[in-house]
Amino acid sequence: MSTAQIRFLTLWRREVNRFMKIKKQTIGAPLLETFLYISVFGAALGSRIGELHGIDYVVFVTPGLIMMAWSTNAFANNSSSILQQKFQGAIQDQLSSPASPLELLLAFALGGFTRGFLVAALTFIAASFLIDLPVDHILVLIPALFLVGFFFSQLGVLVGVRAEQFDDIALAQTFVLQPLIFLGGVFYSASLLPEPFQTLTYFNPVYYMINLIRYGFLGYSEASVALSLLALAAATVALFAVNLRLFSRGYRLRA
Amino acid sequence: MSNHLALDGAGPPANERALHIEELVKRYPTGVEALRGVSLGIESGGFFGLLGPNGAGKSTLIHCATGLAQPTSGTIRVFGHDAIGDYAEARQVVGLAPQELNLDWFLTVEETLDYHAGYFGMPKRERRDRTRELLETFSLTAKRDERTRTLSGGMKRRLILARALMHRPRLLILDEPTAGVDIELRLELWHYVQRINREGTTILLTTHYLEEAEQLCDRVAFINEGQIVAQGSSAELTSAYGVTNLEDAYLALVGRQELSRSQLEGLVS
Repeated sequence: MSTAQIRFLTLWRREVNRFMKIKKQTIGAPLLETFLYISVFGAALGSRIGELHGIDYVVFVTPGLIMMAWSTNAFANNSSSILQQKFQGAIQDQLSSPASPLELLLAFALGGFTRGFLVAALTFIAASFLIDLPVDHILVLIPALFLVGFFFSQLGVLVGVRAEQFDDIALAQTFVLQPLIFLGGVFYSASLLPEPFQTLTYFNPVYYMINLIRYGFLGYSEASVALSLLALAAATVALFAVNLRLFSRGYRLRA
Repeated sequence: MSNHLALDGAGPPANERALHIEELVKRYPTGVEALRGVSLGIESGGFFGLLGPNGAGKSTLIHCATGLAQPTSGTIRVFGHDAIGDYAEARQVVGLAPQELNLDWFLTVEETLDYHAGYFGMPKRERRDRTRELLETFSLTAKRDERTRTLSGGMKRRLILARALMHRPRLLILDEPTAGVDIELRLELWHYVQRINREGTTILLTTHYLEEAEQLCDRVAFINEGQIVAQGSSAELTSAYGVTNLEDAYLALVGRQELSRSQLEGLVS
Protein backbone atom coordinates (compact mmCIF):
# COMPACT_ATOMS: atom_id res chain seq x y z
CA MET A 1 0.00 0.00 0.00
CA SER A 2 1.41 3.43 -0.92
CA THR A 3 1.97 6.25 1.57
CA ALA A 4 -0.95 8.20 0.10
CA GLN A 5 -3.25 5.15 0.34
CA ILE A 6 -2.29 4.58 4.00
CA ARG A 7 -2.92 8.24 4.71
CA PHE A 8 -6.33 8.32 3.03
CA LEU A 9 -7.42 5.07 4.66
CA THR A 10 -6.40 6.41 8.08
CA LEU A 11 -8.26 9.67 7.57
CA TRP A 12 -11.38 7.71 6.62
CA ARG A 13 -10.89 5.19 9.47
CA ARG A 14 -10.82 8.04 11.95
CA GLU A 15 -14.19 9.30 10.72
CA VAL A 16 -15.75 5.83 10.86
CA ASN A 17 -14.20 5.15 14.27
CA ARG A 18 -15.76 8.35 15.60
CA PHE A 19 -19.34 7.46 14.69
CA MET A 20 -18.93 3.81 15.62
CA LYS A 21 -17.85 4.80 19.14
CA ILE A 22 -21.20 6.48 19.65
CA LYS A 23 -23.19 4.04 17.52
CA LYS A 24 -26.27 4.13 19.75
CA GLN A 25 -26.60 7.78 18.78
CA THR A 26 -25.26 7.65 15.23
CA ILE A 27 -26.63 4.32 13.97
CA GLY A 28 -29.18 3.05 16.50
CA ALA A 29 -31.23 6.23 16.94
CA PRO A 30 -31.71 7.01 13.22
CA LEU A 31 -32.55 3.39 12.57
CA LEU A 32 -35.23 3.45 15.26
CA GLU A 33 -36.52 6.77 13.93
CA THR A 34 -36.93 5.37 10.42
CA PHE A 35 -38.56 2.23 11.81
CA LEU A 36 -41.03 4.41 13.73
CA TYR A 37 -41.83 6.36 10.55
CA ILE A 38 -42.56 3.11 8.73
CA SER A 39 -44.72 1.91 11.62
CA VAL A 40 -46.68 5.13 12.11
CA PHE A 41 -47.06 6.27 8.51
CA GLY A 42 -47.16 2.80 7.07
CA ALA A 43 -49.01 0.51 9.44
CA ALA A 44 -51.12 3.06 11.33
CA LEU A 45 -51.97 5.66 8.67
CA GLY A 46 -51.34 3.44 5.67
CA SER A 47 -54.26 1.15 6.43
CA ARG A 48 -56.59 4.18 6.14
CA ILE A 49 -54.93 5.72 3.08
CA GLY A 50 -54.72 2.47 1.14
CA GLU A 51 -52.89 3.01 -2.15
CA LEU A 52 -51.16 5.93 -3.92
CA HIS A 53 -50.87 5.61 -7.71
CA GLY A 54 -51.67 1.91 -7.36
CA ILE A 55 -48.91 1.33 -4.78
CA ASP A 56 -49.44 0.39 -1.13
CA TYR A 57 -48.93 3.55 0.96
CA VAL A 58 -46.30 1.97 3.21
CA VAL A 59 -44.37 0.76 0.14
CA PHE A 60 -44.77 4.20 -1.47
CA VAL A 61 -43.14 6.03 1.48
CA THR A 62 -40.32 3.56 2.21
CA PRO A 63 -37.93 4.60 -0.64
CA GLY A 64 -38.20 8.21 0.55
CA LEU A 65 -37.46 7.09 4.10
CA ILE A 66 -34.36 5.23 2.94
CA MET A 67 -33.21 8.32 1.09
CA MET A 68 -33.95 10.47 4.14
CA ALA A 69 -31.91 8.12 6.36
CA TRP A 70 -28.92 8.26 4.02
CA SER A 71 -29.03 12.01 3.46
CA THR A 72 -29.63 13.20 7.02
CA ASN A 73 -26.99 10.89 8.48
CA ALA A 74 -24.39 11.79 5.87
CA PHE A 75 -25.06 15.48 6.54
CA ALA A 76 -25.19 15.26 10.33
CA ASN A 77 -22.03 13.17 10.58
CA ASN A 78 -19.80 15.43 8.56
CA SER A 79 -21.07 18.74 9.85
CA SER A 80 -20.73 17.71 13.50
CA SER A 81 -17.45 15.83 13.08
CA ILE A 82 -15.71 18.78 11.44
CA LEU A 83 -17.08 21.37 13.86
CA GLN A 84 -16.23 19.17 16.85
CA GLN A 85 -12.65 18.75 15.66
CA LYS A 86 -12.35 22.47 15.01
CA PHE A 87 -13.63 23.11 18.56
CA GLN A 88 -11.14 20.71 20.15
CA GLY A 89 -8.33 21.81 17.87
CA ALA A 90 -7.84 18.13 17.05
CA ILE A 91 -8.25 18.91 13.35
CA GLN A 92 -4.75 20.45 13.49
CA ASP A 93 -3.31 16.95 13.54
CA GLN A 94 -4.78 16.26 10.09
CA LEU A 95 -4.15 19.78 8.79
CA SER A 96 -0.44 19.70 9.68
CA SER A 97 0.01 16.30 8.05
CA PRO A 98 1.12 15.93 4.41
CA ALA A 99 -2.52 15.26 3.38
CA SER A 100 -3.65 17.34 0.40
CA PRO A 101 -6.86 19.40 0.47
CA LEU A 102 -8.44 16.81 -1.86
CA GLU A 103 -7.51 13.91 0.43
CA LEU A 104 -8.86 15.73 3.47
CA LEU A 105 -12.11 16.68 1.74
CA LEU A 106 -12.73 13.19 0.34
CA ALA A 107 -11.97 11.49 3.65
CA PHE A 108 -14.30 13.78 5.63
CA ALA A 109 -17.01 13.35 3.00
CA LEU A 110 -16.59 9.59 2.88
CA GLY A 111 -17.05 9.35 6.67
CA GLY A 112 -20.60 10.69 6.48
CA PHE A 113 -21.25 8.77 3.29
CA THR A 114 -20.34 5.54 5.11
CA ARG A 115 -22.61 6.30 8.06
CA GLY A 116 -25.48 7.23 5.73
CA PHE A 117 -24.93 4.06 3.73
CA LEU A 118 -24.95 1.90 6.89
CA VAL A 119 -28.18 3.40 8.22
CA ALA A 120 -29.85 3.24 4.79
CA ALA A 121 -28.74 -0.36 4.21
CA LEU A 122 -29.97 -1.45 7.64
CA THR A 123 -33.25 0.40 7.03
CA PHE A 124 -33.63 -1.41 3.71
CA ILE A 125 -32.91 -4.81 5.30
CA ALA A 126 -35.34 -4.14 8.18
CA ALA A 127 -38.02 -2.86 5.77
CA SER A 128 -37.61 -5.96 3.60
CA PHE A 129 -38.71 -8.08 6.56
CA LEU A 130 -41.78 -5.95 7.13
CA ILE A 131 -42.97 -5.17 3.61
CA ASP A 132 -42.56 -6.44 0.08
CA LEU A 133 -40.19 -3.77 -1.29
CA PRO A 134 -39.31 -4.30 -4.96
CA VAL A 135 -36.17 -3.01 -6.71
CA ASP A 136 -37.38 -2.23 -10.23
CA HIS A 137 -34.51 -0.19 -11.73
CA ILE A 138 -31.28 -1.03 -9.98
CA LEU A 139 -29.21 0.79 -12.61
CA VAL A 140 -30.98 4.01 -11.68
CA LEU A 141 -31.23 3.25 -7.98
CA ILE A 142 -27.52 2.66 -7.30
CA PRO A 143 -26.14 5.81 -8.98
CA ALA A 144 -29.02 7.87 -7.56
CA LEU A 145 -28.38 6.66 -4.00
CA PHE A 146 -24.65 7.23 -4.37
CA LEU A 147 -25.17 10.73 -5.74
CA VAL A 148 -27.65 11.60 -2.99
CA GLY A 149 -25.22 10.27 -0.37
CA PHE A 150 -22.30 12.15 -1.84
CA PHE A 151 -24.30 15.36 -2.24
CA PHE A 152 -25.40 15.44 1.40
CA SER A 153 -21.92 14.38 2.59
CA GLN A 154 -20.52 17.40 0.76
CA LEU A 155 -23.27 19.61 2.16
CA GLY A 156 -22.37 18.41 5.67
CA VAL A 157 -18.71 19.23 5.04
CA LEU A 158 -19.63 22.70 3.78
CA VAL A 159 -21.82 23.48 6.80
CA GLY A 160 -19.22 21.99 9.21
CA VAL A 161 -16.42 24.09 7.75
CA ARG A 162 -18.49 27.28 7.79
CA ALA A 163 -19.98 26.67 11.25
CA GLU A 164 -18.51 28.43 14.26
CA GLN A 165 -20.90 27.00 16.84
CA PHE A 166 -23.27 24.04 17.09
CA ASP A 167 -26.19 26.40 16.64
CA ASP A 168 -25.06 26.98 13.05
CA ILE A 169 -25.43 23.26 12.31
CA ALA A 170 -28.79 23.04 14.06
CA LEU A 171 -29.95 26.02 12.02
CA ALA A 172 -29.07 24.33 8.73
CA GLN A 173 -30.45 20.96 9.78
CA THR A 174 -33.71 22.04 11.43
CA PHE A 175 -34.65 25.07 9.41
CA VAL A 176 -33.39 24.16 5.95
CA LEU A 177 -32.69 20.48 5.46
CA GLN A 178 -35.59 18.90 7.32
CA PRO A 179 -38.29 21.15 5.81
CA LEU A 180 -36.89 20.49 2.32
CA ILE A 181 -36.94 16.72 2.92
CA PHE A 182 -40.36 16.65 4.57
CA LEU A 183 -41.87 18.92 1.92
CA GLY A 184 -40.15 17.07 -0.90
CA GLY A 185 -42.77 14.34 -0.98
CA VAL A 186 -41.37 11.61 1.27
CA PHE A 187 -44.82 10.99 2.78
CA TYR A 188 -47.06 11.99 -0.10
CA SER A 189 -47.33 12.40 -3.83
CA ALA A 190 -46.81 16.00 -4.97
CA SER A 191 -49.33 15.49 -7.77
CA LEU A 192 -52.08 15.27 -5.14
CA LEU A 193 -51.23 18.63 -3.60
CA PRO A 194 -53.44 21.67 -4.26
CA GLU A 195 -51.95 24.74 -5.93
CA PRO A 196 -49.73 26.66 -5.19
CA PHE A 197 -48.09 23.90 -3.09
CA GLN A 198 -47.74 21.56 -6.05
CA THR A 199 -45.82 24.18 -8.08
CA LEU A 200 -43.78 25.17 -5.04
CA THR A 201 -42.71 21.54 -4.62
CA TYR A 202 -41.16 21.60 -8.10
CA PHE A 203 -38.66 24.20 -6.81
CA ASN A 204 -37.53 21.84 -4.06
CA PRO A 205 -34.40 19.92 -5.19
CA VAL A 206 -35.10 17.11 -2.72
CA TYR A 207 -38.35 16.36 -4.58
CA TYR A 208 -36.33 15.18 -7.59
CA MET A 209 -34.04 13.08 -5.41
CA ILE A 210 -37.00 11.32 -3.80
CA ASN A 211 -38.50 10.71 -7.21
CA LEU A 212 -35.28 9.16 -8.46
CA ILE A 213 -35.03 6.79 -5.49
CA ARG A 214 -38.74 5.96 -5.71
CA TYR A 215 -38.32 5.20 -9.41
CA GLY A 216 -35.34 2.95 -8.66
CA PHE A 217 -37.34 0.94 -6.14
CA LEU A 218 -40.90 1.09 -7.44
CA GLY A 219 -40.64 2.14 -11.09
CA TYR A 220 -42.82 5.19 -10.35
CA SER A 221 -41.71 8.78 -10.82
CA GLU A 222 -43.49 12.11 -11.23
CA ALA A 223 -40.43 13.83 -12.72
CA SER A 224 -38.10 13.07 -15.62
CA VAL A 225 -35.63 10.44 -14.40
CA ALA A 226 -32.85 11.37 -16.82
CA LEU A 227 -33.17 15.08 -16.11
CA SER A 228 -33.28 14.53 -12.34
CA LEU A 229 -30.20 12.32 -12.48
CA LEU A 230 -28.34 14.86 -14.58
CA ALA A 231 -29.32 17.76 -12.32
CA LEU A 232 -28.32 15.82 -9.20
CA ALA A 233 -24.95 14.91 -10.72
CA ALA A 234 -24.34 18.54 -11.72
CA ALA A 235 -25.30 19.82 -8.26
CA THR A 236 -23.02 17.26 -6.59
CA VAL A 237 -20.06 18.16 -8.79
CA ALA A 238 -20.67 21.89 -8.20
CA LEU A 239 -20.83 21.41 -4.41
CA PHE A 240 -17.67 19.31 -4.51
CA ALA A 241 -15.88 22.03 -6.48
CA VAL A 242 -16.94 24.67 -3.94
CA ASN A 243 -15.69 22.52 -1.05
CA LEU A 244 -12.41 21.76 -2.76
CA ARG A 245 -11.83 25.46 -3.25
CA LEU A 246 -12.57 26.12 0.43
CA PHE A 247 -10.20 23.34 1.53
CA SER A 248 -7.48 24.56 -0.83
CA ARG A 249 -7.79 28.07 0.57
CA GLY A 250 -7.96 26.72 4.13
CA TYR A 251 -11.19 28.65 4.65
CA ARG A 252 -12.01 28.63 8.41
CA LEU A 253 -9.64 25.68 8.78
CA ARG A 254 -6.22 27.33 8.62
CA ALA A 255 -5.62 30.75 10.17
CA MET B 1 21.06 49.73 22.59
CA SER B 2 19.65 48.86 19.22
CA ASN B 3 16.57 46.67 19.35
CA HIS B 4 17.72 44.75 16.29
CA LEU B 5 20.83 42.75 16.98
CA ALA B 6 22.21 40.95 13.95
CA LEU B 7 24.25 38.22 15.58
CA ASP B 8 23.36 35.53 13.14
CA GLY B 9 26.03 35.13 10.48
CA ALA B 10 25.32 34.27 6.87
CA GLY B 11 25.52 30.54 7.75
CA PRO B 12 25.11 27.65 5.33
CA PRO B 13 22.80 27.88 2.29
CA ALA B 14 19.02 27.64 2.80
CA ASN B 15 18.84 24.08 1.45
CA GLU B 16 21.07 22.78 4.24
CA ARG B 17 19.06 24.40 6.99
CA ALA B 18 16.34 22.63 8.92
CA LEU B 19 14.23 25.79 8.81
CA HIS B 20 14.88 28.82 6.69
CA ILE B 21 12.45 31.72 6.90
CA GLU B 22 12.74 34.90 4.86
CA GLU B 23 10.70 38.07 5.20
CA LEU B 24 7.69 36.23 6.60
CA VAL B 25 4.59 38.36 6.98
CA LYS B 26 1.30 37.19 8.44
CA ARG B 27 -1.56 39.62 8.37
CA TYR B 28 -4.96 38.45 9.60
CA PRO B 29 -8.17 39.58 7.88
CA THR B 30 -8.80 41.82 10.91
CA GLY B 31 -5.73 43.79 9.88
CA VAL B 32 -3.59 42.56 12.78
CA GLU B 33 -0.02 41.95 11.60
CA ALA B 34 1.23 39.06 13.72
CA LEU B 35 4.52 38.65 11.83
CA ARG B 36 6.29 41.61 10.26
CA GLY B 37 9.06 40.44 7.97
CA VAL B 38 10.55 37.66 10.09
CA SER B 39 13.80 36.09 8.85
CA LEU B 40 15.26 33.15 10.69
CA GLY B 41 17.60 30.22 10.09
CA ILE B 42 17.92 27.02 12.10
CA GLU B 43 20.82 24.75 11.26
CA SER B 44 20.23 21.05 10.82
CA GLY B 45 20.84 19.29 14.13
CA GLY B 46 20.56 22.50 16.12
CA PHE B 47 18.61 23.20 19.30
CA PHE B 48 16.97 26.56 18.74
CA GLY B 49 15.00 28.61 21.23
CA LEU B 50 12.39 31.12 20.12
CA LEU B 51 11.61 33.42 23.00
CA GLY B 52 9.31 36.34 23.42
CA PRO B 53 6.38 37.68 25.40
CA ASN B 54 2.80 36.44 24.93
CA GLY B 55 1.39 37.62 21.63
CA ALA B 56 4.85 38.26 20.16
CA GLY B 57 4.20 35.97 17.18
CA LYS B 58 5.87 32.70 18.29
CA SER B 59 2.86 30.45 17.73
CA THR B 60 1.92 32.23 14.50
CA LEU B 61 5.42 31.59 13.16
CA ILE B 62 5.14 27.92 14.12
CA HIS B 63 1.68 27.67 12.58
CA CYS B 64 2.97 29.16 9.33
CA ALA B 65 5.81 26.62 9.25
CA THR B 66 3.47 23.68 9.82
CA GLY B 67 0.59 24.65 7.53
CA LEU B 68 -1.84 25.67 10.26
CA ALA B 69 -1.67 29.29 9.16
CA GLN B 70 -1.18 30.71 5.70
CA PRO B 71 1.54 33.34 5.37
CA THR B 72 0.62 36.61 3.72
CA SER B 73 4.07 36.81 2.10
CA GLY B 74 7.60 35.55 2.52
CA THR B 75 9.34 32.19 2.21
CA ILE B 76 9.53 29.18 4.51
CA ARG B 77 11.79 26.24 3.63
CA VAL B 78 11.98 23.07 5.70
CA PHE B 79 15.13 21.09 4.84
CA GLY B 80 15.01 22.81 1.47
CA HIS B 81 11.32 22.08 0.80
CA ASP B 82 9.05 25.07 0.25
CA ALA B 83 6.46 24.85 3.06
CA ILE B 84 3.78 26.23 0.70
CA GLY B 85 4.66 24.81 -2.73
CA ASP B 86 6.04 21.44 -1.55
CA TYR B 87 3.93 21.27 1.59
CA ALA B 88 3.69 17.48 1.64
CA GLU B 89 7.48 17.01 1.65
CA ALA B 90 7.95 19.84 4.14
CA ARG B 91 5.30 18.60 6.59
CA GLN B 92 6.54 15.03 6.34
CA VAL B 93 9.72 15.95 8.20
CA VAL B 94 8.17 18.19 10.87
CA GLY B 95 6.68 17.10 14.18
CA LEU B 96 4.59 19.61 16.10
CA ALA B 97 3.75 19.49 19.80
CA PRO B 98 1.44 22.48 20.08
CA GLN B 99 0.83 24.59 23.12
CA GLU B 100 -2.88 23.68 23.27
CA LEU B 101 -3.90 20.19 24.40
CA ASN B 102 -5.53 19.51 21.05
CA LEU B 103 -6.37 15.83 21.44
CA ASP B 104 -9.34 14.11 19.88
CA TRP B 105 -11.73 13.14 22.71
CA PHE B 106 -13.10 10.20 20.79
CA LEU B 107 -9.78 8.43 20.43
CA THR B 108 -7.86 6.29 22.88
CA VAL B 109 -4.22 6.98 23.65
CA GLU B 110 -3.09 4.20 21.32
CA GLU B 111 -5.42 5.29 18.50
CA THR B 112 -4.14 8.86 18.79
CA LEU B 113 -0.61 7.69 18.04
CA ASP B 114 -1.64 5.14 15.43
CA TYR B 115 -3.81 7.57 13.45
CA HIS B 116 -1.18 10.29 13.53
CA ALA B 117 1.38 7.91 12.08
CA GLY B 118 -1.18 6.84 9.48
CA TYR B 119 -1.63 10.47 8.38
CA PHE B 120 2.11 10.43 7.65
CA GLY B 121 1.83 7.19 5.67
CA MET B 122 3.57 4.80 8.08
CA PRO B 123 2.77 1.13 7.42
CA LYS B 124 0.85 -0.86 10.03
CA ARG B 125 3.71 -2.88 11.51
CA GLU B 126 5.94 0.17 11.83
CA ARG B 127 3.08 2.10 13.46
CA ARG B 128 2.52 -0.69 15.96
CA ASP B 129 6.20 -0.92 16.93
CA ARG B 130 6.65 2.85 17.16
CA THR B 131 3.46 3.20 19.23
CA ARG B 132 4.69 0.57 21.69
CA GLU B 133 8.08 2.27 21.92
CA LEU B 134 6.68 5.75 22.58
CA LEU B 135 4.01 4.54 25.01
CA GLU B 136 6.84 3.01 26.99
CA THR B 137 9.09 6.08 26.70
CA PHE B 138 6.40 8.45 27.92
CA SER B 139 5.03 6.10 30.62
CA LEU B 140 1.67 5.80 28.84
CA THR B 141 1.51 2.03 28.37
CA ALA B 142 -0.97 1.52 31.22
CA LYS B 143 -3.24 4.19 29.71
CA ARG B 144 -3.12 2.91 26.13
CA ASP B 145 -6.83 1.97 25.97
CA GLU B 146 -8.14 5.03 27.78
CA ARG B 147 -9.89 7.80 25.92
CA THR B 148 -7.85 10.99 25.80
CA ARG B 149 -10.48 13.08 27.58
CA THR B 150 -10.04 10.97 30.75
CA LEU B 151 -6.30 11.74 31.01
CA SER B 152 -4.80 14.22 33.45
CA GLY B 153 -3.17 17.37 32.10
CA GLY B 154 0.31 15.89 32.48
CA MET B 155 -0.67 12.70 30.68
CA LYS B 156 -2.22 14.71 27.85
CA ARG B 157 1.02 16.66 27.52
CA ARG B 158 3.00 13.40 27.37
CA LEU B 159 0.68 12.09 24.68
CA ILE B 160 1.02 15.23 22.59
CA LEU B 161 4.80 14.90 22.71
CA ALA B 162 4.65 11.23 21.82
CA ARG B 163 2.28 12.03 18.94
CA ALA B 164 4.67 14.65 17.55
CA LEU B 165 7.47 12.07 17.53
CA MET B 166 5.48 9.20 15.99
CA HIS B 167 6.60 9.73 12.40
CA ARG B 168 10.25 10.32 13.36
CA PRO B 169 10.41 13.99 12.33
CA ARG B 170 13.75 15.55 11.45
CA LEU B 171 12.55 18.87 12.88
CA LEU B 172 10.65 18.75 16.17
CA ILE B 173 8.74 21.90 17.12
CA LEU B 174 7.91 22.19 20.81
CA ASP B 175 5.56 25.08 21.54
CA GLU B 176 5.60 25.67 25.30
CA PRO B 177 5.96 21.95 26.03
CA THR B 178 6.48 22.32 29.77
CA ALA B 179 3.69 24.79 30.50
CA GLY B 180 1.84 23.46 33.54
CA VAL B 181 3.71 20.16 33.85
CA ASP B 182 5.36 18.79 36.97
CA ILE B 183 9.10 18.74 37.51
CA GLU B 184 9.37 15.00 36.88
CA LEU B 185 7.87 15.21 33.39
CA ARG B 186 9.85 18.34 32.64
CA LEU B 187 13.14 16.62 33.41
CA GLU B 188 12.11 13.43 31.61
CA LEU B 189 11.19 15.49 28.59
CA TRP B 190 14.45 17.42 28.50
CA HIS B 191 16.48 14.23 28.86
CA TYR B 192 14.59 12.68 25.97
CA VAL B 193 14.73 15.76 23.77
CA GLN B 194 18.45 16.22 24.38
CA ARG B 195 19.00 12.59 23.45
CA ILE B 196 17.15 12.81 20.14
CA ASN B 197 18.88 16.12 19.44
CA ARG B 198 22.26 14.39 19.89
CA GLU B 199 21.00 11.69 17.51
CA GLY B 200 20.35 14.33 14.85
CA THR B 201 16.81 15.69 15.34
CA THR B 202 16.65 19.47 15.06
CA ILE B 203 14.65 21.11 17.84
CA LEU B 204 12.73 24.39 17.75
CA LEU B 205 11.57 25.29 21.24
CA THR B 206 9.41 28.10 22.53
CA THR B 207 9.29 28.49 26.28
CA HIS B 208 8.82 31.06 28.99
CA TYR B 209 11.35 29.25 31.17
CA LEU B 210 14.43 31.18 30.13
CA GLU B 211 16.85 29.23 32.30
CA GLU B 212 15.77 26.09 30.41
CA ALA B 213 16.35 27.78 27.10
CA GLU B 214 19.76 28.94 28.28
CA GLN B 215 20.76 25.40 29.27
CA LEU B 216 19.30 23.56 26.30
CA CYS B 217 19.53 25.78 23.24
CA ASP B 218 22.65 26.37 21.23
CA ARG B 219 21.01 29.35 19.56
CA VAL B 220 18.22 31.64 20.63
CA ALA B 221 16.08 34.28 18.94
CA PHE B 222 14.02 36.96 20.63
CA ILE B 223 10.78 37.83 18.91
CA ASN B 224 8.74 40.86 19.86
CA GLU B 225 5.74 42.46 18.17
CA GLY B 226 6.10 40.17 15.18
CA GLN B 227 9.77 40.85 14.55
CA ILE B 228 12.98 39.03 15.37
CA VAL B 229 14.85 41.58 17.42
CA ALA B 230 17.94 39.55 18.28
CA GLN B 231 19.40 36.14 17.62
CA GLY B 232 22.56 34.32 18.48
CA SER B 233 23.96 32.05 21.18
CA SER B 234 23.03 32.75 24.80
CA ALA B 235 26.54 34.09 25.40
CA GLU B 236 26.29 36.41 22.41
CA LEU B 237 22.90 37.73 23.51
CA THR B 238 23.88 38.31 27.13
CA SER B 239 27.03 40.05 25.99
CA ALA B 240 25.12 42.17 23.47
CA TYR B 241 22.67 43.31 26.14
CA GLY B 242 25.46 43.72 28.73
CA VAL B 243 23.85 41.34 31.22
CA THR B 244 24.83 38.06 32.86
CA ASN B 245 22.01 35.73 31.84
CA LEU B 246 19.35 35.21 29.21
CA GLU B 247 16.54 36.23 31.54
CA ASP B 248 18.08 39.65 32.03
CA ALA B 249 18.66 39.94 28.29
CA TYR B 250 14.97 39.18 27.77
CA LEU B 251 13.94 41.75 30.39
CA ALA B 252 16.15 44.29 28.67
CA LEU B 253 14.43 43.46 25.41
CA VAL B 254 10.95 44.07 26.81
CA GLY B 255 12.14 47.08 28.78
CA ARG B 256 11.45 45.60 32.22
CA GLN B 257 14.97 45.56 33.72
CA GLU B 258 13.52 46.52 37.08
CA LEU B 259 12.17 42.95 37.34
CA SER B 260 15.65 41.43 37.14
CA ARG B 261 16.36 38.97 39.96
CA SER B 262 19.57 40.83 40.81
CA GLN B 263 17.55 44.02 41.30
CA LEU B 264 14.97 42.19 43.40
CA GLU B 265 17.67 40.53 45.51
CA GLY B 266 19.18 43.98 46.09
CA LEU B 267 15.82 45.28 47.25
CA VAL B 268 15.33 42.36 49.68
CA SER B 269 18.81 42.68 51.18
